[in-house]
Amino acid sequence: MISTASPQIELRHLHRVFDHTHAVNDVSFEVYAGEVFGYIGPNGAGKTTSMRILATLDEPTAGDAFVDGFSVVDDPDRVRRRLGFMPDYFGTYQNVNVVEYLDFFARAYGLAGRERLRAIDQVMEFTALNTMTYKPIDGLSKGMKQRLCLGRTMIHDPSVLILDEPAAGLDPRARIELREMIERLAAAGKAILISSHILTELAEIADRVAIIEQGQLLAVGSVKEISNGVQVRNAVRVRALRDGERLRNWLAAREGIFDLKLDGDLAIFNHAGDAESEAALLRAIVEAGFPVVEFGAQHKTLEDVFLHVTEGRVQ
Amino acid sequence: MTLDATALENAERAGDAAAHPLRARAEAIWSAIDRFLVYAGDWLNPILVKETRQALKSSQFTITFVLMLVACWIATIGVVAYVGPRIFYSAEGGTLLVWYYAILALPLMVVVPLSAFRSLTAEREDNTYDLLSITALKPRQIIAGKLGSSITQMAVYFSAITPCLAFTYLLRGVDLPTIAVLLLYTFFWSLGLSILGILLATLTPQRFVQVIILVAFVAALLLMFYLSIIMGYSAVNLGRAAIFGVDSAFWTATTAMATAYFTFFALAFFASAALITFTSENRSTPLRVCMIVQQAAFVGWMAYAWIHDSYAAGVVAGTMTFAGIYWFVMGTLLTAERPGISQRVRRRLPQSFAGRMFFSWFNPGPASGYMFVIANISSLAVLCAVGAAISSVWSSGSGVGPHAEDQYYMLVVGWGYLVGYLGLALIVVGGLRRIATVTMLASVLINFLLVLAGFGIPYAVKSMSTRLRDVDYSFIQITDPFSSLYHVAYGGVASDSDVIAIVVPGIALCILLLNMPRVIGELRVVREAAPARVIRDEAELHPPPESLPQNPWEEAGEERAKLVES
Repeated sequence: MISTASPQIELRHLHRVFDHTHAVNDVSFEVYAGEVFGYIGPNGAGKTTSMRILATLDEPTAGDAFVDGFSVVDDPDRVRRRLGFMPDYFGTYQNVNVVEYLDFFARAYGLAGRERLRAIDQVMEFTALNTMTYKPIDGLSKGMKQRLCLGRTMIHDPSVLILDEPAAGLDPRARIELREMIERLAAAGKAILISSHILTELAEIADRVAIIEQGQLLAVGSVKEISNGVQVRNAVRVRALRDGERLRNWLAAREGIFDLKLDGDLAIFNHAGDAESEAALLRAIVEAGFPVVEFGAQHKTLEDVFLHVTEGRVQ
Repeated sequence: MTLDATALENAERAGDAAAHPLRARAEAIWSAIDRFLVYAGDWLNPILVKETRQALKSSQFTITFVLMLVACWIATIGVVAYVGPRIFYSAEGGTLLVWYYAILALPLMVVVPLSAFRSLTAEREDNTYDLLSITALKPRQIIAGKLGSSITQMAVYFSAITPCLAFTYLLRGVDLPTIAVLLLYTFFWSLGLSILGILLATLTPQRFVQVIILVAFVAALLLMFYLSIIMGYSAVNLGRAAIFGVDSAFWTATTAMATAYFTFFALAFFASAALITFTSENRSTPLRVCMIVQQAAFVGWMAYAWIHDSYAAGVVAGTMTFAGIYWFVMGTLLTAERPGISQRVRRRLPQSFAGRMFFSWFNPGPASGYMFVIANISSLAVLCAVGAAISSVWSSGSGVGPHAEDQYYMLVVGWGYLVGYLGLALIVVGGLRRIATVTMLASVLINFLLVLAGFGIPYAVKSMSTRLRDVDYSFIQITDPFSSLYHVAYGGVASDSDVIAIVVPGIALCILLLNMPRVIGELRVVREAAPARVIRDEAELHPPPESLPQNPWEEAGEERAKLVES
């Protein structure tokens, strides 16, 4: 359930310059409670830099970012109490087992006594690490380490989670489990900002996405909104029982049809428009007397939208 | 665990308890101790808890500890075999103590400080530092945790050597106060090196610089190890007589050293914490308070030495020299601060007129740092001038150092050089900051380079000139603070000193005036109110206490109101 009361995360004209590189250039967006917000872009686009600024690990050159209304520049301590950051590296200690690791971070976040023990129990249960309580961290698999890191991120029950490439290097099962955990966290009302290169998975869980390239924000909104906004063409297949050639000529004469090909009785083309216009097209084909036996529109994925928005500038 | 499983386990436990009452009691006691330890641990620094757990499992700690025990056994057997039957009638405790001390000194002087250094650098290398810095732990807690871990390690090493020290006492030839003082010195020495290690670890995140620092630090630690053995040997040989001698020199020196130690320790502690503090936080004021305290302690001790030495003028000259060097070094750091005061710091700026007048110099900022140094060195100069005046009247004049009247010149010229060079560096760095990013290290280097240029260029010119080569002092050396001050203090003709005493402070005042817009700019920053969100959060975190009844009638009235409500 996405709350629209006040944003949990807010970036206002954020800039970050490293020597001569403008890593983040005037980036602004908002994330609300209960929302999973995907942050996508090629390597070096400025995702991690913006996330590190939000996590109070770096300072913006200009602009500001807010977590639950607190400035990351002026009130980093208040931000830290409300924020859990999972970077794209593990950050584990040697000679420490799972429960000791969580215990340390629980203490570091100021949890004491029963509250601390309860928080550790809850996190272990949530991340299904109960069976590995006393296992040394060095001996954990990558998926288990990732769970542990997620557990560490939420040990102090933050209202905002920032997850930088949480699914990187995980096997399919671990990825599915991670996705489920993220969905549960969002359902619990947490605002989640997540970056990932696995766009198909991100599209499934993200309520909205922001596409960033070379430090600049190219698009913000739901995948559908962005697709509509950038006029992404959907691949459409139409098979008529006969009159394939006539169908091709009929389609070629219409507007909004691109890259038309005929393979026997099957016409394949790209169509610019939403589902409504596809329905209208089907109706028009039938009314024109073509005996249609197959009509299928393949909508563009987040990957297609991403490639279209970044216009092949992706390195 | 489900409820059924818990019930089953409890039932099994109850059955076991009935069958083995003693075991059940032991388990109950252990469980109580465990619970107590869990809650007692809440009061400890989280880093201390984590690092103690890590250390107890680490091979480095086990190997060092075992090696230390083995070395102690070998030393014991070796010395006992060497002494032979004399052990029954000769006092050989001192010989053995020196060996034990050398064994103890290695972990304390090398291993513990090095572990403190590595502990913080490893956090960066293992990518755990970021995770640590975004927790609720404050930078001071992180530094205190690292220090606490060092103290724990030291305690373990001390406990390992304790039986050996008891053995040396039984062998005679060494007394308990000597052993106690030696161990206390070693403890604080090791702790001081540990905070130095932590400070060095916080200086830079750059790997190659850290490697250079590590190599230099290890070399310094080995030197400290060598010096500590000399100290141990001397302490054993001097023994009780030195500690409880007829004159109070030992305790006076110890107290003076303790003052210097604790003030520098505090400075290193706050500096380490400042270096890992988020940039918008006020990182400067605690350091400036430390400097003030250190200066007050220094003045106190120098006053004691001055009175004790029959108002010798040399003590005043020594005070001036040390203070000049100290404030130049501190000034290079303070003027290297980043300009601009963050919104966060502005919320806590002094508000009243008196507060702004007296405490604005404690605000972060290079210009306020410059004025802070000037205020301190000026007050010290006035104190020293009074001291020099008193010395000229009361001192016997037999002491070393310049004459009291020459010291006035030294004070004025020294003040001028300090104000001039720091101010010049402030202008240069301020100009460079308009076109590029100037780091703190670069700013400090610019300060030292300016002084070096002021000394080196005239020296080179004088060396190359056939006319000036053999002259003791020439006016082209007026930019050289060392030659000029020496000339004013010892070798000068009175007229030379007059010229230097006019030109140097005159230029310094001009430079000070040039820096005034910067100073005024920083002083004009006033307190700003915290955002409403912060005020609301603060009220939630620290709600005001419930109002208490002001008189018995009010309380009775409230009770009556409650009764009526019920």
